[in-house]
Amino acid sequence: MAKIAIVTDSNSGITQSESLELGIHVLPMPFMMGDKTYFEDIDLSQEQFYEMLKNGDEISTSQPSPESVMNLWDKLLKEYDEIVHIPMSSGLSGSCQSAMMLAQDYDGKVQVVNNQRISITQRQSALDAKLLIERGMNAAEIKDFLEADKFNSSIYIMLDTLYYLKKGGRITPAAAAIGSLLRLKPVLQIQGEKLDAFAKARTTNQGKSIMINAIQNDIINRFGGMTEEKGVWIAIAYTYDTEAAMAWKEEVEKAFPGYDIHMDPLSLSVACHIGPGALAVACSKKI
Amino acid sequence: MSLQQIDAKMLSRMFLAGAKNLENKKEWINELNVFPVPDGDTGTNMTMTIMSAAKEVAALGENANMESVCKAISSGSLRGARGNSGVILSQLFRGFTKVIKTRTELDILVFSEAFDKAVETAYKAVMKPKEGTILTVAKGIADRSKELVEEGTEDMETFFRAIIEHAEYVLNQTPEMLPVLKQAGVVDSGGQGLVEVLHGAFDAYMGKEVNLDVTSAPAQSASPAKTSSYEAQANVDIKFGYCTEFIILLNKTFNVKAEMDFKAFLESIGDSIVCVADDDVVKVHVHTNDPGLAIQRALKYGALSNMKIDNMRLEHQEKLFKMSEGKAEEKDVEVVGAAKEPDVHEAVAETPHKDVGFIAVSIGDGVNEIFKSLGVDYIIEGGQTMNPSTADILNAVEQVNADTIFILPNNKNIILAANQATELMKDKKLLVIPTKTIPQGITAVVNYVPELSVDENEQTMLAEINHVKTGQVTYAVRDTVIDEKEIKKDDYMGIGDDGILSVGQNINTVTEEMVAAMVTADSELISVYYGADVNEADAEALREKLESAYSSCDVELQFGGQPIYYYVISVE
Repeated sequence: MAKIAIVTDSNSGITQSESLELGIHVLPMPFMMGDKTYFEDIDLSQEQFYEMLKNGDEISTSQPSPESVMNLWDKLLKEYDEIVHIPMSSGLSGSCQSAMMLAQDYDGKVQVVNNQRISITQRQSALDAKLLIERGMNAAEIKDFLEADKFNSSIYIMLDTLYYLKKGGRITPAAAAIGSLLRLKPVLQIQGEKLDAFAKARTTNQGKSIMINAIQNDIINRFGGMTEEKGVWIAIAYTYDTEAAMAWKEEVEKAFPGYDIHMDPLSLSVACHIGPGALAVACSKKI
Repeated sequence: MSLQQIDAKMLSRMFLAGAKNLENKKEWINELNVFPVPDGDTGTNMTMTIMSAAKEVAALGENANMESVCKAISSGSLRGARGNSGVILSQLFRGFTKVIKTRTELDILVFSEAFDKAVETAYKAVMKPKEGTILTVAKGIADRSKELVEEGTEDMETFFRAIIEHAEYVLNQTPEMLPVLKQAGVVDSGGQGLVEVLHGAFDAYMGKEVNLDVTSAPAQSASPAKTSSYEAQANVDIKFGYCTEFIILLNKTFNVKAEMDFKAFLESIGDSIVCVADDDVVKVHVHTNDPGLAIQRALKYGALSNMKIDNMRLEHQEKLFKMSEGKAEEKDVEVVGAAKEPDVHEAVAETPHKDVGFIAVSIGDGVNEIFKSLGVDYIIEGGQTMNPSTADILNAVEQVNADTIFILPNNKNIILAANQATELMKDKKLLVIPTKTIPQGITAVVNYVPELSVDENEQTMLAEINHVKTGQVTYAVRDTVIDEKEIKKDDYMGIGDDGILSVGQNINTVTEEMVAAMVTADSELISVYYGADVNEADAEALREKLESAYSSCDVELQFGGQPIYYYVISVE
């Protein structure tokens, strides 16, 4: 049986220390501030990042350099036969596109998964890949499986402000139009390509109940219902405000009793576009 | 004079006289409002409702049969219904005519049955019938007629006198049934309206000389007839300057084609057109910049009489001048309504089709803009100050090219008229979200999620509007006592969802006290919509004050631009 390595990037929310535990290799995402480049979770912590964001520093995201990607692959291929590479959503970054191009020189040994996941659902994909290896699939089969499964997840994010999203241009015009006159808390949905407007709320509580209802709706209508087997993973994510996130987690747990709910801070390349104070909930169908 | 039976001709005379009498008393009935707000309008609403029917009855001419008179009364009042009392009145007529339409002559027994049916129908139309209102007065009439029948009364005059006497007795009892009426020292205004209709009808029956001309009555579509917004008035741009009215005494036939041609001509030279043809006269009203053209054209059909031409631009100046002297002068600003008329008819014929649309009743440029920015397809101008009729709502529905339309009445006095529209509309599915205030309407539309089904959205909106508390600040038009609070004329009042929250002479204190009564530990957001009569700096100062007083809440300030209500504030 071929030995397969799993690679993802730091958007998955898998930290460097967690990566050792899980046996999943994590490429740190680079950030540029001024003329200096930082790497997520290497020399840029969440705290430092939000400090800079609040100071109004111009932060731009970038994709991992081809060199860093190939160095990691080359290193891994000395030990493994194949690589499953799961980059952040191709709708939000060029990382996937670049990785696919680079993979062409690896004779099929590197399979780049274009399943348009991000953050907690991207993390779930990496964990799913691990499970698929145990089930005896090869890298190409895993890629096909994960890509076929790409729409079996959704993320809802409530933002505190549209400011960062508008600034970064990572939003469809429909989403940008909401909240034009009133101060609204937009609820966005990530599914496939881009962040899109899902709903809007006047207060945090309204936004939270919209998200919980949306997840319930997805589970019932798309992911096989709220069964005893708990056929979905539920995860929550947030930017910056840990205290609000803990409260949010409690509410989600209450709405979905019996589900084991994972919580991560949102990865910085997402946070960079949506700003602090966002709360998110996601579900992915168990494979 | 006393008859034992009433025929269609007499019935239509009585109906027109009843309508006319109600119209004559409408201002007085407006003032019977429990809340001494500047825009009490039960009289106006009931008058517009009955006038819509009266016009249809008058158009039938003298020789119409019972069935067509009944149909005119029923459908005219249903479509023209506005305000809760108007809707109830229209349902009373609907029930009443159901019984009498198959008869050629009405005797006391038929009247008694018809009153019974009227009451039954009206009670059904109201979700939670309240006693001490127009319903109770109507029920009194029905009960008394039954007694009179049992007593063997046969004389019509005796019968009418007895039921009117009893109706007045019940009306005078209404303060005993509704404590708010007693505190305010008034009888129920809707009940009073009904009694006025009876009085008018009885006068006609007795052969009293009554003016039955209903053509000039203001039963046209919604136009804010009253507004305190002096600013808004000043901005009105009068497109057509001369209000021109006359009657053509026909000397040749004026058939449907001639009428259409003439109307088309009037439309080419002006707006606000009324052109009502009777057998041998045509009544014409038009706003135009060249009255001569209208007159010349009309001369082709006959001689002219009752000619009246006013320069509205000059009148408007005068009115503004008067208004700047004091806010008291604010009734019957016809000019504003007329100038706004074209908005109502604005063609929206070719809008792209969608599955779900929204209609909101709203007033004030700021609030209208907010609704539009949230995706509302059509705004019906109106609100507490002007309740749109069922017909206005149906017209709006025609302007929205969608299969399902959510209607946000945004006022508790408009919900019934909106519900009535859903029953009359067959081609589209209309769903009324019973929003009682503007902020509830905003919350409803904010919570709409296009991805979800209509049912799910309806449920969400119904649930969310209950989380919004609304308070509105206006001034009192007379002295009264409500909820143990003594109110003096010209005091400011903060009115919450369930009654008066604060009263006083200082608008800021009144507003702050009102908000204090609304905010709880769970409150997250205070939204302030400031009206046309508040300047931005004052509103901003209020926002700052509220922000420091309620640190756990976000405070959002928006320009609402609504007349009469200085502040509309929601807490959620």
